[in-house]
Amino acid sequence: MSRKTLEIYSVELDGTKDTKQTDQEDDKKYNDLDLKKSHQKEELKRELDLDDHKLTSEELEQKYGTNIITGLSSARAAEHLARDGPNTLSPPKQTPEIIKFLKQMVGGFSILLWIGAVLCWIAYGIQYVNDKSASLDSVYLGVVLALVVILTGIFAYYQEAKSTNIMASFSKMIPQEALVIRDSEKKVIPAEQLVVGDIVEIKGGDQIPADIRLLSSQGCKVDNSSLTGESEPQPRSAEFTHENPLETKNIGFYSTTCLEGTATGVVINTGDRTVIGRIASLASGVGSEKTPIATEIEHFVHIVAGVAVSVGLLFFIIAVSLKYQVLDSIIFLIGIIVANVPEGLLATVTVTLSLTAKRMAKKNCLVKNLEAVETLGSTSIICSDKTGTLTQNRMAVAHLWFDNQIFMADTSENQLNQAFDQSSGTWASLSKIIALCNRAEFRPGQENIPIMKKVVVGDASETALLKFSEVILGDVMEIRKRNRKVAEIPFNSTNKFQLSIHETEDPEDKHFLVVMKGAPERILERCSTIMINGQEQPLGKSNATAFHTAYMELGGLGERVLGFCHLYLPEDEFPESYPFDVDAMNFPTSNLCFVGLLSMIDPPRSTVPDAVAKCRSAGIKVIMVTGDHPITAKAVAKSVGVISASSETVEDIARRCSIAVEQVNKRDARAAVVTGMELKDMAPEQLDEILANYSEIVFARTSPQQKLIIVEGCQRQDAVVAVTGDGVNDSPALKKADIGIAMGIAGSDAAKNAADMVLLDDNFASIVTGVEEGRLIFDNLKKTIAYTLTKNIAELCPFLIYIIVGLPLPIGTITLLFIDLGTDIIPSIALAYEKAESDIMNRKPRHKKKDRLVNHQLAIYSYLHIGLMQALGAFLVYFTVYAQQGFWPTSLINLRVRWEKDELNDVEDSYGQEWTRYQRKYLEWTGYTAFFVGIMVQQIADLIIRKTRRNSIFQQGLFRNKVIWVGIASQIIIALILSYGLGSVTALSFTMLR
Amino acid sequence: MLFEGLILLFYLVFYGFLAALFSFTMWAMLQTLNDEVPKYRDQIPSPGLMVFPKPVTALEYTFSVSDPSSYEGYIKDLKKFLKSYSLEEQKNLTNCTDGVLFEQKGPVYVACRFPDFLLQACSGRNDPDFGYSQGQPCILVKMNRIIGLKPEGSPRIDCISKDENTAIVSTYPNHGIIDLKYFPYYGKKLHVGYLQPLVAVQVSFESNSTKKEVTVECKIEGSRNLRNEDDRDKFLGRVAFKITART
Repeated sequence: MSRKTLEIYSVELDGTKDTKQTDQEDDKKYNDLDLKKSHQKEELKRELDLDDHKLTSEELEQKYGTNIITGLSSARAAEHLARDGPNTLSPPKQTPEIIKFLKQMVGGFSILLWIGAVLCWIAYGIQYVNDKSASLDSVYLGVVLALVVILTGIFAYYQEAKSTNIMASFSKMIPQEALVIRDSEKKVIPAEQLVVGDIVEIKGGDQIPADIRLLSSQGCKVDNSSLTGESEPQPRSAEFTHENPLETKNIGFYSTTCLEGTATGVVINTGDRTVIGRIASLASGVGSEKTPIATEIEHFVHIVAGVAVSVGLLFFIIAVSLKYQVLDSIIFLIGIIVANVPEGLLATVTVTLSLTAKRMAKKNCLVKNLEAVETLGSTSIICSDKTGTLTQNRMAVAHLWFDNQIFMADTSENQLNQAFDQSSGTWASLSKIIALCNRAEFRPGQENIPIMKKVVVGDASETALLKFSEVILGDVMEIRKRNRKVAEIPFNSTNKFQLSIHETEDPEDKHFLVVMKGAPERILERCSTIMINGQEQPLGKSNATAFHTAYMELGGLGERVLGFCHLYLPEDEFPESYPFDVDAMNFPTSNLCFVGLLSMIDPPRSTVPDAVAKCRSAGIKVIMVTGDHPITAKAVAKSVGVISASSETVEDIARRCSIAVEQVNKRDARAAVVTGMELKDMAPEQLDEILANYSEIVFARTSPQQKLIIVEGCQRQDAVVAVTGDGVNDSPALKKADIGIAMGIAGSDAAKNAADMVLLDDNFASIVTGVEEGRLIFDNLKKTIAYTLTKNIAELCPFLIYIIVGLPLPIGTITLLFIDLGTDIIPSIALAYEKAESDIMNRKPRHKKKDRLVNHQLAIYSYLHIGLMQALGAFLVYFTVYAQQGFWPTSLINLRVRWEKDELNDVEDSYGQEWTRYQRKYLEWTGYTAFFVGIMVQQIADLIIRKTRRNSIFQQGLFRNKVIWVGIASQIIIALILSYGLGSVTALSFTMLR
Repeated sequence: MLFEGLILLFYLVFYGFLAALFSFTMWAMLQTLNDEVPKYRDQIPSPGLMVFPKPVTALEYTFSVSDPSSYEGYIKDLKKFLKSYSLEEQKNLTNCTDGVLFEQKGPVYVACRFPDFLLQACSGRNDPDFGYSQGQPCILVKMNRIIGLKPEGSPRIDCISKDENTAIVSTYPNHGIIDLKYFPYYGKKLHVGYLQPLVAVQVSFESNSTKKEVTVECKIEGSRNLRNEDDRDKFLGRVAFKITART
């Protein structure tokens, strides 16, 4: 596992996370009930047997043999390094390359073909012992079979390796460095050389290079979200504050980020022994489910292999009882197996999957495991995070309230214009307060960047307000310059407001302007007047009621509401030189004029509502899982459609009908909001009931660990579950899910490692495009398989007829392989480029046990309908070739024995001509070639048939998929090369055709 | 039940239709053929050589002079084969001009006589045992029939013993001549009664040689368009066989 590399934690992103309400105290205790059901709980408990946080500096020095001032000596450090190994997480256990390779060599049909090859050689061996001049045909065949297996194996291995490489390049390691004190000197060393006992210094922006016990700190705050799910920055100091090592403030965890401040600490754990390291290794312990497509392919291989072996054995017995020699019968057996096994198919499937994986990568879904491509298509439940996935992961102004009216603001990503009415005088005042009472600033040097993309120094709310006013008012920095700030009280949690005092723009006007924003009720308390339509009015009861209604309404939308007020200080009392003192508060902070309310929310991504609607029509249940407050969660769920407009929760019904929650018939509600607290006390059966009965579910205030429980619940419903996640703690859920989706931007490496797919833009809508691609690939794979299976009958019949009727062999085993691995490969891959048939996202997701990739309809249609027609067509060509050369169809029956006798060189045809053995053989090869071309031509028709499954070929368009035509051209070209170019190569048995 | 019935009906109709279609196309294909001459003759441009009688094991004649049952089968086969070459059987055939191709325009095609006496000692007239009982076995070498084949030059079949000085190989007619008058062949249907020219090979072992075993190789010589050394086809214009005569 490599270190976290893609952390684009701008201040903006960090700040936003504070929108998540921090009611997670109950959840973040690892020892509580959350994980009762899973064995991991014990593990987690055990691993947190840390007591370093309780020790004093002296005890630490003693324990780790270090010195806080001088650090370790280099020699000592080297000793420790040799003992503990480098400070890196060991990569998840990977199957050795050679095993992977060998698996490809014996997996699927390969084992059948190996048996075939070995039988060939044995047959030759026996022949050779009996007769030294035995023909080498079976040796060639054995070699070809072995080559086929080896080549397809190498190919599949290469494909897989390539897709793994995409991932490897993605998480390329950026060497991380740490500032460490050794030999009394500060040194910068690669973080992986850190050892226990090292004294390290960290500062804002650094990633903490190992688990450290803090010794001193200056305003140090860390982001532990990837570990605990807490999104608020956590202060860190040297004091021991909590028994639980995860709670105490004096421990910094490996891979978390120091947001601000500086700290010094002693390394207490490195590499895999860090808390993150242990969780990561736990995640790799959670069994990964077999992908549905792997199951499907296995199912298919079983069917085909079963058919091949049983037909082969059946005819082996028939052949033996028809007095054929056992040796010949073995050769028949091989022929039948080769004819039955679609050698090229597995390679085709791999290519098809990797093509789709590439296509998905373009659409921001990076697939780590090729088979996950299809899994996404069969997904029936998506458990999605809220922040960043459904939402934009930033704050934005959503609503304003002034002049007794609620205005809506544009919250889309680019936010070019704000269309609400801005003519009122109140707005002029309000906008001034918004612009001035704000400490956030744009980072310099971003003049040419669109406003919404500029990086801001400041917290999320202030950033939102700054950008909001920049969009409306223009250059805010300029406005602030004109209204010089003379004093300021920053926001703090006791007074819950922020205040600043400014000179006015007008150089003549010597008034000072006090602007203030904060928690609405606190602001209102300080006001005696209210501004309506630009006029100050006394704050009457009706106005207060209006305020409360608006406040409740906006709060009910799950939005964070701020109140704004101002006051022009009288010029006489506060002359230009007045010494404002923020500590003494020598200026009025009450009887201000209330101007308006403004509410902010982390707005949904604009593409998400459509995507959710698409999921719904596609029969996919979208479950939102968030750490947020239920009200916010529900509001966002409603705005993106996770809870649709017409749905109500039990609580909604209760409120509407004014009855108690218990009296509501639960069946009436379609939506449910379940909190982590409720979930914690729930028995699995209760969870199952909720999952089964409600179509729209939001889990709020959940901890990352509870995700695992939710996933397991969904899987009990026989659903194929996709789960998104970013934190380290999400990794067990990601592993457990049928398809784990890690966030590319916000995701931690542990999450990315555990996931099957990485969402590069963190956008929910990308998942839906992925689903579409996944369904398409399933459809197209069906087409490919149907196409490939069809010719099997045409390949099998010759052997059956040959054995029973005794015709000269219509097609040779090696020639068959040229169809399977030559002409048919490109067309079957071309089917992967087939466009979706119209209804792809209006279907229910496929049921993983009922809707098989290869079902009996497909098999019957391929084998007994099209396949049979193909066989007849090919036989017609075969008979034509023989008849035109002199052997009428009737004369061929039971000709086999005489035909194949080497010493018989005067076999008479229907016209009285006599043929030598070689002349007959050459004719036989011509027959092979003709049969081959017969199948090839019919496969072209078959390809066009297979383009569609539901639509008519004209609806689908004959020319929309250009690759099909490339496939057809390739088929013809390969056939031409084989029959005209390689006619002279004996082993291939091709001849020129007229 | 109804459903299964429908499916059965479907398959009956479907396969019935397929069978009809296949039969029809086969019939149509056969209509394009000529039953007198095959449509293409490109795959047999040059004839192969074959021996008669057909040995029990691949091209190895093994018999014991003192045990008539060991060559009885060969004699029987030869007699049967040469029956159509007897004079009585050839009464209706034509006496053709020696040494020239006998091209005919039809519609009736006649066959040339090949009287068995041309085979001299191997004709079976004087020696009903075809020399087997004397340890001088006769073997017939024949050239494969190919419709329309017109040999150039004066083709003959040359047979030589591969093992020197163990046996004398004689061919009848003398020099193994194959007369051009037997060509071209017009096919089974048109050329009724056609007799393909034969060459008999008689092997006489030297009386003093103890090892009565010889490999004989016969080749068509003297004609430019009859090939006799194809790498892949060991029987194109040539044939090799082995004779082992035990006492």
